[in-house]
Amino acid sequence: MTELRFHRDLYRQAAVDEAVKALASYATFSRADEATHFVVKIEAATPVRERRVAGEVSNFALGLTVNARGNARGKRR
Amino acid sequence: MDGFPAELARVETDARSASIRVDSTLYPIDAVYGAAYVFLDRCYVLLDAPEAERVRVTLAWKKGDPTEDELRALVGEFTNELLSCAWRAQIAKESRVLIESATSRAIGGAMGPPSIDDLEKFDFTEESFEDPLGIALSWEEKYGKKKPGEAT
Repeated sequence: MTELRFHRDLYRQAAVDEAVKALASYATFSRADEATHFVVKIEAATPVRERRVAGEVSNFALGLTVNARGNARGKRR
Repeated sequence: MDGFPAELARVETDARSASIRVDSTLYPIDAVYGAAYVFLDRCYVLLDAPEAERVRVTLAWKKGDPTEDELRALVGEFTNELLSCAWRAQIAKESRVLIESATSRAIGGAMGPPSIDDLEKFDFTEESFEDPLGIALSWEEKYGKKKPGEAT
């Protein structure tokens, strides 16, 4: 099992949720959020697949967070 | 890792990843996001904040097994990109007022000449400027025939 920890100050919850939803068909996900982190646990058929899914989830969450920050800044102006 | 302080950058060949600790008082968080975003196509990127005012960036190699040199080069590229993003953010911050001013003027100009309604609403009551040399006078006012009784 792979555990990804997304710090709440750096990632948006909606971005993490969306990333997990987007890749839900490639592995089994479970959440165990903590006060400081969104915690995503991933189980896949093979370690290689698990690493890849974990990586894609982290990229997806980061990309959506960056885009959301950019959009929010554009609206503030 | 050669070339960088050990507490700031670490390469883990077994894990096919490299991690960099960024001081967020030196590099704004937007610069960290910007630099990380550039590497999404080549790496799996994970950010964390292990302590206050520090951001740890983990770059995990996507395909194949990288050599230590390749991971080292990745760290170098990331730090350069980070510096570039920080500098661009600083320039954007300093020139924001100028950019907004130029943009609003361009948009104002693109709206075309003022309408009759706009001109009617315009306040023309502003007092005339001082003209001690009489430059703003019309030819008639300056050289035209004077009416009887008018001082020369």
